[in-house]
Amino acid sequence: MTMSELLSILDYQFFRHAMAAAILTSLLAAMVGTYIVSRKIVFIGGGITHASFGGIGMAYYMGLNPFLGAAVFGTMTALGIEWISGRGNIREDSAIAILWSLGMALGIIFVFMTPGYAPNLMSFLFGSILSVGKTDLYILAGFSLFTFLLFSVFFRPILYTAFDPEFAKTKGIPVSTYRYMMSVIMALAIVLSIRTVGIILVLSIFTIPQITAMLFTRDFARIIPLAALWGVTGSVAGLFAAYYLNIPSGAAIIFFLTIQLMLIKLVIFVHRELQRRSG
Amino acid sequence: MKKPLIVLDNIRTGYNSDPVLREVSLEIYPLDFIGIIGPNGGGKTTLIKAILGLLPLFSGQILFPGGKPKTGYLPQSSQIDRSFPITVKEVISSGLGTSGNLFPFLPSGKKEKVKKMMDETGLSSLSSTAIGELSGGQLQKTFLCRALIDEPDLLILDEPNTHVDKHFEQEMHEWLKELNQKMTILLVSHDIGTISPMVKTIACVNRTLHYHPSNQLSEEVLKVYNCPVDVIAHGPVPHRVLKSHDNE
Repeated sequence: MTMSELLSILDYQFFRHAMAAAILTSLLAAMVGTYIVSRKIVFIGGGITHASFGGIGMAYYMGLNPFLGAAVFGTMTALGIEWISGRGNIREDSAIAILWSLGMALGIIFVFMTPGYAPNLMSFLFGSILSVGKTDLYILAGFSLFTFLLFSVFFRPILYTAFDPEFAKTKGIPVSTYRYMMSVIMALAIVLSIRTVGIILVLSIFTIPQITAMLFTRDFARIIPLAALWGVTGSVAGLFAAYYLNIPSGAAIIFFLTIQLMLIKLVIFVHRELQRRSG
Repeated sequence: MKKPLIVLDNIRTGYNSDPVLREVSLEIYPLDFIGIIGPNGGGKTTLIKAILGLLPLFSGQILFPGGKPKTGYLPQSSQIDRSFPITVKEVISSGLGTSGNLFPFLPSGKKEKVKKMMDETGLSSLSSTAIGELSGGQLQKTFLCRALIDEPDLLILDEPNTHVDKHFEQEMHEWLKELNQKMTILLVSHDIGTISPMVKTIACVNRTLHYHPSNQLSEEVLKVYNCPVDVIAHGPVPHRVLKSHDNE
């Protein structure tokens, strides 16, 4: 297959939209995912993701936009977990597990109660990047830009409160305000990314590019652009593979992100071995 | 008589609704160097967190007669996530707070301050190193710099001797003695032997607090340290009598 044949798929609008969605999701996830991975709160991300399914089901049942329901449920879950973790007398991990499964249960109950067949259920679980429309892209682009501005302007308080909240407090930084703000950003970023890769796979786009970036640097500010780079290359490669191999796009993206991580790890390992042997 | 820097007036504090410390009163005077000792779980860290305003008071009050002093805080090393992706330079910069700088760039004044601090303490070559790659001594030095960079009036150190070698311990003791010329120091330690030559006064904390206005290790003080403090019947502080340790 020649390059022009490979790129001919870009003639289709649906594929251009999918590409844009993959790139925007990668950029958004690069920022928010770096925060998640650095703070080691991937499990909280999992809780938000799955709890939001309850919102999808409820919105379905009420005839509303499912992503509106997901956004409301996701945000409430994120704020609830942050509130719980600030109190210390409730087991945070157990609370997350409860919200996680309660959300999924509510989702299933509401979808079941909705009259008629729910054909889009699979698309929520595994994403439907090939059906992303212009409005979806505008929302995703708008929120990514907003998050970028927020990370730029409040970079230091976000970093300091994530690293050592008690010390930040002694320096007069309003720690809980920043923590709650980041909880909302996290929830909305995850819900918007569900559109691209689905509930089951969404966490990987918030973690794999970051882990890949951390093979090169351990500096929070440098992880973000590197994670954006690896997120974009992995997801665009996955998208092309999905089309030409006729496999589900969400799964292909995750598969390519992982292969990319392993390849880079291997290259670094071989490079170090060669350096060690030569001197 | 000098005005005290901080007055703890009969405070009761702890986590959630469980009071770890009860009826604690203490006056901290400018340029004092207080060694806070006591058994594990006795409330040493709780005491300094209350002073730092990190814990709610269930009763009593903390007063700052001359206004709230600028504080520098070095937390217990177990409280730090060493795998967090942050560099030495960023950690030290965080000691300057965030006032006056939004965006990732530090204003030149702050940048200059951080650079000077790293030059003086020999951390310059580690400026861009992630904290996960530092030795125990380098890590404590970084956190001590973070506590000191804003030129505090009150320096609060929680177990700074953890995971450091003898050489750095000696270096740090000299450093603290020098710093004590211009700032008040509260030093929490479980190891009274290493801190007693440095400190001026000693506070024994075990659920409540007994203050000794000298650094002399009288038998009484040692007894206080080795045993539940409440056994010792001294001072005006209300106390309970508990069972002695087995080695008594």
